[in-house]
Amino acid sequence: MEAITITLDGVEVGGHPGMTILDLARESGVDIPSLCHDPLLTPIGACRICLVEDERSGRLLASCVTPIESGMVINTQSPKVQERRKTIIKLILASHPDTCLVCDKGNQCELRKIASDMGVGLVGLQKIPLKATIEEVNPFIERDLSKCILCAKCIRADHEIVVQGAIDYIERGFASKPATLNDSPLENSDCTFCGACVAICPTGALMEKKLVYRGTTLTNVSTICPFCGCGCSINLEVKDNQIVRARPGKEGVVSRGALCVKGSYGYDFVHSPERLTSPLVKVNGDFEAVSWDEALAKVASELKRIKETQGPNSLALLGSSKCTNEENYLLQRLARGVLGTNNIDNASRLYSAPSIVGLGSTVGFPGTTNSLNALEQSEVIMVIGANLTSSAPAVGYAVKRAARYKGAKLLLIDPQQTNLSSFAHLWLRPGVGTDLALVNGMARVIVTEGLLDEEFVTRKTDNYEVWSKELEKYTPGYVEEVTGVPGDDVVRTARLFAEANLASIVYGDGITQHLTGTDTVIALANLAMLTGNVGLGGGIFALQRDCNGLGACDMGALPDLLPGYQSVGNPQAIKTFADRWDTDLPSDGGLTAIEMIDHAIEGKVKGMYIVGENPVLSFPNQSLIKEALTSLDFLVVQDMFLTETAKLANVVLPAASFAEKEGTFTNFEGRIQRVCKVIEPIGDSLPDWEIIVQLANSMGNPMPYSSLQQVKEEIQELVPLYQDTGYMDPEAKDMHRGELEKAPLRSRRLYKGQFPSGFGRFSPVQYEPQEETPKDGYPLTLLTGSVLYHSGTGSRSSRSPRLSEFSPESYLEIGEPDATQFGISEGDEVRVVSPTGEVTAVAKFTDVLPEGMLFMPLSFPSTPINQLFGIALDPRAKTPALKACAVKLERIQPRG
Amino acid sequence: MGFEKIRTEAMSQRKAMQTSPNARVLIGTGTCGMAAGAGDVLESLESELAKSNIEADIIQVGCIGLCYAEPLIEIIKPGMPSVFYANVTPELMSEIVSDYLIAGNPRADLALGTRGEGTLDGIPQLFDLPVLKSQVRIALRNCGNIDPENIYHYVASGGYEGLRKALKIKRQEVIDEVKRSGLRGRGGAGFPTGVKWQFCHDSPGTTKYIVCNADEGDPGAFMDRALLEGDPHAVLEGMLIGAYALGASEGYIYIRAEYPLAIQRLKVALKQMEECGLLGDNIMDSAFSFHIKIKEGAGAFVCGEETALMASIEGNRGMPRPRPPFPAQAGLWGKPTNINNVETWSNISAILRRGADWYAGYGTEKSRGTKTFSLVGKIMRPGLIEVPMGITLREIIYEIGGGIPEEKAFRAVQTGGPSGGCLPASFLDSPVDYESLAEAGSIIGSGGMVVLDEDTCMVDIARYFLAFTQAESCGKCIPCRWGTKQMLDILEDIVSGNGREGDIDLLIELSEAVKDGSLCALGGTAPNPVLTTIRYFRDEYEAHIFEKRCPALACKSLISYYVIPEKCEGCGICARACPAEAIMGDKRMVHVIDQDRCTKCGTCFEVCPSKFSAIAVVSGEPVTVPLEPVPVGSKA
Repeated sequence: MEAITITLDGVEVGGHPGMTILDLARESGVDIPSLCHDPLLTPIGACRICLVEDERSGRLLASCVTPIESGMVINTQSPKVQERRKTIIKLILASHPDTCLVCDKGNQCELRKIASDMGVGLVGLQKIPLKATIEEVNPFIERDLSKCILCAKCIRADHEIVVQGAIDYIERGFASKPATLNDSPLENSDCTFCGACVAICPTGALMEKKLVYRGTTLTNVSTICPFCGCGCSINLEVKDNQIVRARPGKEGVVSRGALCVKGSYGYDFVHSPERLTSPLVKVNGDFEAVSWDEALAKVASELKRIKETQGPNSLALLGSSKCTNEENYLLQRLARGVLGTNNIDNASRLYSAPSIVGLGSTVGFPGTTNSLNALEQSEVIMVIGANLTSSAPAVGYAVKRAARYKGAKLLLIDPQQTNLSSFAHLWLRPGVGTDLALVNGMARVIVTEGLLDEEFVTRKTDNYEVWSKELEKYTPGYVEEVTGVPGDDVVRTARLFAEANLASIVYGDGITQHLTGTDTVIALANLAMLTGNVGLGGGIFALQRDCNGLGACDMGALPDLLPGYQSVGNPQAIKTFADRWDTDLPSDGGLTAIEMIDHAIEGKVKGMYIVGENPVLSFPNQSLIKEALTSLDFLVVQDMFLTETAKLANVVLPAASFAEKEGTFTNFEGRIQRVCKVIEPIGDSLPDWEIIVQLANSMGNPMPYSSLQQVKEEIQELVPLYQDTGYMDPEAKDMHRGELEKAPLRSRRLYKGQFPSGFGRFSPVQYEPQEETPKDGYPLTLLTGSVLYHSGTGSRSSRSPRLSEFSPESYLEIGEPDATQFGISEGDEVRVVSPTGEVTAVAKFTDVLPEGMLFMPLSFPSTPINQLFGIALDPRAKTPALKACAVKLERIQPRG
Repeated sequence: MGFEKIRTEAMSQRKAMQTSPNARVLIGTGTCGMAAGAGDVLESLESELAKSNIEADIIQVGCIGLCYAEPLIEIIKPGMPSVFYANVTPELMSEIVSDYLIAGNPRADLALGTRGEGTLDGIPQLFDLPVLKSQVRIALRNCGNIDPENIYHYVASGGYEGLRKALKIKRQEVIDEVKRSGLRGRGGAGFPTGVKWQFCHDSPGTTKYIVCNADEGDPGAFMDRALLEGDPHAVLEGMLIGAYALGASEGYIYIRAEYPLAIQRLKVALKQMEECGLLGDNIMDSAFSFHIKIKEGAGAFVCGEETALMASIEGNRGMPRPRPPFPAQAGLWGKPTNINNVETWSNISAILRRGADWYAGYGTEKSRGTKTFSLVGKIMRPGLIEVPMGITLREIIYEIGGGIPEEKAFRAVQTGGPSGGCLPASFLDSPVDYESLAEAGSIIGSGGMVVLDEDTCMVDIARYFLAFTQAESCGKCIPCRWGTKQMLDILEDIVSGNGREGDIDLLIELSEAVKDGSLCALGGTAPNPVLTTIRYFRDEYEAHIFEKRCPALACKSLISYYVIPEKCEGCGICARACPAEAIMGDKRMVHVIDQDRCTKCGTCFEVCPSKFSAIAVVSGEPVTVPLEPVPVGSKA
C-alpha cells in the first residue's frame, strides 16, 4: 500500500490509505479531542469536537470520519477550530445538568475533561435542560439521560459489539435520545445488561447501580473473569480492599470492549457475607471455627490414616474447573506424589470430557482448534447444541458480529429457539439426542456429492475409506425420519458447510451432556476434517462452561492422564514426573468423578478431598451423591462458601476467590491468561494453591515451592503444551497453549493444517436411539441449560446480590399448548417428576420450545434439577447425561 | 409488445380523440385541484352532461400550475381552440355546460384564456397571459395536458422517445449528452448531473442502484408532487435512461407517504410500463433490464438528504452519514448508487428526446435550462411555475405572480425553503441562478419561493424556519441538535420582547458553529434564514431587542391594540366580537381595551367598521387613552 503524506500542524506525517485524520494524528502524538470516537466502534462524526481545519480550503472537517488525502494541510489548533470546539462544548454544557459535584462519573467524565482542557467554564448560553430520566428497577444499570450527550457510543456498542439491538435512537431534534423499543424501561426490553454501554459512556448518563464507592479509585487491576470458559479480561477497580466496579479489560482479545452481565456485575459474590473466613471442623454435627494449623493437622492425619489403613486408592480428589492451572497442577501432584493415587478428576468431566476424548481420538488435539478471531472470520458457522448468548456470551457476540456484519452464514442446529435464531441463515430443529444422525447425514451428502476437500482428506487424514462406507445408511430420508429435520434442509446445510472456504463448528453442552457425547464430537470432527476445516481457517470450537475447565485437564487433574495429557500408562511419562518429584508414582488408572461416587457407595473410597466443586448439586441424582459423601470416613471440602457439599464435610477449608490470588486460567480457545491478585484474601481464607502446599507440608511431604513462580517453572518444564508460549513471561500477551511454531509437533495446536500425530483420523460413529427420549408415563422431554444471569451450580452467582436480585428463582419454561394440555396456567407452581426424582418450579410460558419439550435452568441451588437425572454415563468419556430427561408434570397450586 | 406498436397505438388513440365529434373536458384533479373543489365540479359536470344527454370525454389531468385559478377546466370542442375556465364552481360548471357545450357561447366573461389554433372574441390566448408568458415548460411539459394514468397519452406526446434514443447509443454517450446539456441537480445542491453520473458509472461493481428522491419536504414546496401527479412517466423515463447509462438494473423511488395520489399515479404508471415492455427484462427488446420499487418515507425531512434517504431505504433510521464514501462509490447496501430528484429525472427524459443543445439553449451560462418553483406567500397568483434560469425575481414576482395583494409593499422573498434565505427588494433585479442566489446568501434549493410583504416580521420568519429545522434535525450532530435549539430559544426571546443585547452576535456565533460543525446539509444550511435576515434586516432585530418594537406589527408580545378615542363611535361591534371579553364600554361610550386581558388576536381590528377605523395597532410607542369608557365626544 502506498503511503499518504499530509501536513499536520506544520509537520509532514505519513499514513496509509483508509486512515482518518484522527487516526493519523493520534498515531503521530497529536491530541484531537473527541467525545463520540472509540477505536472499537464505527466512527460516525456526531460530536463534532474533533473538527480540524483544512488550510487549503478553510473548511472544517470532522477528523474522525475524514480519510487522509495526499497533500492535505491540516491545522488541528487554528483559532477557528478552537472557537468552534468551544462553542460546541458550551452547547453541550448548556443542556447538561450542573451536578458534577454529585455525579458518580467524577473525574472519569470525558466531557468534563475536554471542557477543562479547553478552559470552558462559563457557558454564556441559556440552560435548556434535557427531559427527565426513566425510572429503572433493575439492579445493574442506572440511566440518567439528562446527562446524555448523544454520542451514540452506547447505541453502537449495542449494535456493533454485542449485536443485541436493545437500544437505538428515538425521536428527532432536541428530543432525540437513545432508547429501547417504545422507550420502555431496560428490564422490559431486549437488554441483557452486559454493561458494554456503561463501560463506554463518556459521561454519567449510564452508570452502575449500587456503587459501593463513588469516587475515582487508584487501584485498577486487569484480570480474568471467573465465570464461563470465554475468559474475558476484566478490569477491577478497588478501594479499601473492596472491588467497587468491573469494566471490560481494555486489551482483552476475547472481550473486545464487552463483558456479560455476570462479568460486569456478578463479581460482588466476592464480598458476600457468606464467605468462609476461617477453617471449620465438624464437632458433633456442628462446625467450629479453628486455626489453619489445627485444620490442616486434622486433614493431614485423617488422609494419612486412611491411606495407611485402606491403601492410597481409598482416597479420591476432585479438582476444580474454576481454580487456576497452578492449583490444579499442585492438586494432582498432591494426589499422585503425596497420596499415591490417580483418583483425581475435575468437574469438566461433567460437560467437556467428550471433547477431550473425541477430539483427541480424531484430530489428536484436546480442545478447540482455532482462535475466536478465526471464528469471527468464518464464512459459515455451524452452531450446534449451544445456546451461546447464555452460556458463552463472548462467543455469542463474535458469532452475531460475523453473521450481521461480515456476511457469515449461520447454520443453527438447536431444537430450542435461541437469541441466535434470528441471525440464522438456516435453523434446524432436530429431536433431542439425534444430533449424531444429523451430522452423519451431512457428511454423507458431502461425500456422495463430492463436495469434500479431497486434497486435505488425501494428504492429511487416514481411514477415510472405512469411515465413509459406514455413512451409507444416513440418507436424507433416514435422517429426516430420525431427527425430524426435513431431508432437503440436511442437504442444504451440508452443501453450505462444504462449499465455504472457511467453515467453523461451535458446540457446547447440548452435544457433550448426552450419552452419545463423545460419538457426536467425533462426528463433528469427521465433518470438519472432511471439509478441510481443521488447522488452517475455520475450526472446531468446543465451549467450556467454567473459566478453567480446559486448564484443569491440561494440568492433569484427570485420573488417566498426567499433566499435558501424558498417559499414566506410559512408563516414560511416569518416570519423568517421578524423577522430577523424587517419589514413586501410581501407574494404574484412577477413578473418574462419578466412579468415585460409585466407589464410595461400595465402600471402596473412604476419604475425599474436594476443591472448589459442589457435586451435591452438579452431579446427577442428588440423594445418591449425598449418601455417598456421608458414607465416607472423612471428607474435606475447600471452597469459598459453605456449599451443599461443604455442609457434609468433616473439615472445610476457606479458599480465596479469583480476585485474591495469582495464577493463570486457560480459556476454551486454549488461551492462557493471567489471573492477578486484586485484593487481599477475605478473612483467613487462603488461595487454593497455598492451602495445597501447606497441606503437603502438614503431611510431611513438603513441596519444594517458595513461590508461585516456581510452580509455573515446573509446569513449563513438564507440560509440553505450555512450553514456548510466553507462559512464564509476565509481559506476554495473547498466549496460546501449543501455538508457537517451535513447539514440538506432538504438543502444539494444529499448525498450517498439520495434525499433531501427522494425520487426522476418521472414526465411524453410529446413531443409536437413546433413553432420554419420552417414555411411558413421562410424556415430556425436559432440557436443562445455562442461563445468562447465573453460572455453574449457582454457588457464586446466587451469592451475587445483583444477579440474585434480578434472577432470584428457578422456573419451568413450557409452551402454551403443552401447558393447556396439562391444565397449567402461567405462574402455577408445578412439580416436575422424573423416574429418579422431582423438583418444583413456577411455570413460565414461552414460544421458543417445540411441543412436548420443557426447559429448566441450572444454577439455582434451591431447585436442584440434577436430582431428576439418574446416573448414566457416556461409555468413553464417563460424562453423565445431564442435558435431557423424560418427565411428567403435576400442578401443585396456582401462585399467590 | 414492441415500442413501435405502442407508439402506433398511442397515435391512433390520439387521432381518434382529435377526430371524435365529442367535446373533451380536461379537469385538473391533482391534490391542489381537489383541495380547491374540483371533485364537486367534476360531479356537477358529469350530472350536467347526463342531464343534457350530451356525450363529452372527460379527462382528469394533473396540475398546470395555476393554483390561484383552481379548480381549472379546459374544454376542447372540435374545430375550436380550447378554452380554459378558472375558479370553476359546480354552479359555474353547469352554466358552462349549457352555455358553451350546448349553446356554443364560450362565455368570454368566465373564460381565462384559449389554447390552440384560432381565437375567440374577448378571450386572450392563455400563454399570452402574464402568468404564463415568460414560463418555459420542460420538466412540467405534460402536466395538465395529459391523463397521467394513461401511458398512451404520454407516448403520444413524445414520451419514451428519449429512452429509445438513449438505447441506441453507447452508455458513455448518454452521459456525455447529459453533461453537455449543463443540467444541474434540481434537488437543491445544483451539482452537475452528468458529472455525478460519471462518478457512479466509473465506480467499480456490477450491481448499481438508481434512486429518485421524491422526499419533498420544504414548507410550501410542491413541485415534485405536482410533477409526479401530473406526469409520472416523464420522471420514470428519466430513471430508465439513467439506469441504462450507469448500468443499474434496480431503482427506487423514495417518496413521502403523505403524497398518496402521487404514489397511486406511480403505481399505475409502473404497471403500465411493465405491460408495455418498458420495465422489467429486455426493455424495448434490448439487453437492458430495469426494475423499480417504491419506498414510502415516513415523513422525516432529513430523509431528503441522500445518505439518510439510503439508510431509510435499507430499513434503518434515516440519519445522514459522513461522506466519503459518496453514494456513487458506496451507496445503497454498499453499492454504487446515483440519486437524483424528481425534476432532474423529468429533465433527463426531455434532454434525451430533444437534445442537449436544445436544453442548453435555455438559462444562463452556468445554470442551464429551466427551474420549477412553487410561488407562494403574499402574492396575487400563487402557483407552480417553470422559468428559464436567469429570469429576475422581479419578473417572477410581479409579472408571473402579479405582485403583492392589497397594494402592500414587498418586504422579502424567501427562497430555498428552510435551507435558504430571505432576500430584500435590492435583489429583485438579480437573476435567479445558482451562483447569484448563493452569493446573496440564499439558495435556489428545490424551488420553494415564499413572497413576504410589509406585514411580515423578518425575525419571526427566521424563527419559523428555524423551528422547522430544529424539529427536523435527526439529532446526530451536537451543533445541529443543540445549536439550533439555542438559536430558536434566542429568537423566541427576541420576538417575545425578551431579547438582550448581544443576542445578534450570539446568533451569528451559533450560526457559524452550526454551519461549520454539522455533518449534513440540513445543519449546514439551517442557519441561513437567520443569517440572511440579520444581514438584510438587522434593523428589525435591533428594534425588537432594544426598542421592544416589531416594525411589521406582527409579533404579538410586542404589539398592542387600542381604541382611538377620537374615532370610536361606541357601536359595540368590537366588544361583542372580542373572544377574550377584553373590551369595555356600553353603546355610545368610547370603548377601552383591557390590555391585561387582550390576547392580541386582532379580531377588533378586523371587525371595526372601516368608516370608523377606530382600532389602532402599535408597537413600541406610548398611547394615551382613557382608562375607563367615556361618553363618545367627551374629552378624556
